Amino acid sequence: MTEVRVPLDLWAEDDKTGSIVVWLYPDGAAVKEGALIAEILVEKTTLELYAPASGTLQINVEPEVVIDKGQLVATIV
Amino acid sequence: MSRILTMARAGREALDWEMERRDEIFVLGEDVYNFGGIFGTADGFGAKYGPERVINTPISETGFIGMAAGAAMAGMHPVIDLAYIDFIGVCYNVLLNTASKTHYMSAGQVKVPMTLMIGTGGGYNNAAQHSQCLHATVAHIPGVKVVYPSNAYDAKGMMHSALRDPNFVIYLTHKGTAGVGWMGTPLKTTLSEVPEEPYTVPFGKIAITREGSDITLIGLGMSVHECLKAADELAKDGISAQVVDLRSLAPLDRDGIFAAVKKTGRMIVTDEDYLSYGVSGEVIASVVERDPTVLRAAPVRICTPDIPIPFARSMEQAILPLAAKIADAARKMVK
Repeated sequence: MTEVRVPLDLWAEDDKTGSIVVWLYPDGAAVKEGALIAEILVEKTTLELYAPASGTLQINVEPEVVIDKGQLVATIV
Repeated sequence: MSRILTMARAGREALDWEMERRDEIFVLGEDVYNFGGIFGTADGFGAKYGPERVINTPISETGFIGMAAGAAMAGMHPVIDLAYIDFIGVCYNVLLNTASKTHYMSAGQVKVPMTLMIGTGGGYNNAAQHSQCLHATVAHIPGVKVVYPSNAYDAKGMMHSALRDPNFVIYLTHKGTAGVGWMGTPLKTTLSEVPEEPYTVPFGKIAITREGSDITLIGLGMSVHECLKAADELAKDGISAQVVDLRSLAPLDRDGIFAAVKKTGRMIVTDEDYLSYGVSGEVIASVVERDPTVLRAAPVRICTPDIPIPFARSMEQAILPLAAKIADAARKMVK
């Protein structure tokens, strides 16, 4: 099992939070390592989240929920 | 399972694919180089293609649209990000008299391969000068193709088609359907499974977005999604609504519209553009000119009234052609 966390360097400012805009794969879908799996919004900028491993995506955080750097948003099993 | 994309990402993927392979394509517009366009049309392109192919323009639409038309005639394929259709007024001479007419005026000797991407529509409290649809205003110009995808699959296929078209194409996207993050969570019905490989979606064909037998709800851009919501509501009352996505305004699929309406005998045309002199009247004319007897009830239009779009959320929501209004009209018509 691999944790999918928001990379600590995805955006610079520590005092800003983000939110998932859209998951590019549904819960339970097969994803490949390196695939773009989600868009994350911070202020008006859309950032990208990539799969750290291949496997089945299990989504923990739905769109529009506030997320922080380092937060666990999904797992890949 | 394929990836599920937003419209913005799907259209951008097609543009990226064509730009990688064709040096004549370049992008220009306000904030495209550093910011990738306000609606994400060229996100990341500045870093990938450099400032000669992703050109930031000043706020001078009259000038850069003219420059683009000239470049197209000289063999380039400019892709312009106009962001808001409310700014179309200062581009109009080039659209009306140059980009759309030169192919004809030169007896086909000069082509104007140019793609103009424009965001349309309101619903997010951006007031009277940043919320208009105005698609009828551009679809009225002979010599220009006007397409209007409403989901990610069509956004990609129609962008490939636009970039391979030998002449001028206006590619409209309702801002609320694009799926850019700062506009909020994307509407589910705009998201599609999108193949990685390139494909084209031809212009001038409607899509039957939902099958139904009692009434035909016709929309374009955002109003397709309001029709789908209305159809869900109507299903609870036992009314089976067919939903038609026009997808392309010029050419307009009059045969497809007629066949869809003939199937149910009832039509409601929904349009976020102004009611008068617009697409809604044209769609109804396409049916009744051919054979008014296919209709079992007088056609109804649910459109934005002919007033400036209000800024206040309560007032804007009251005038938009939203699902509840569409469903109410449908219930009355079927009763």
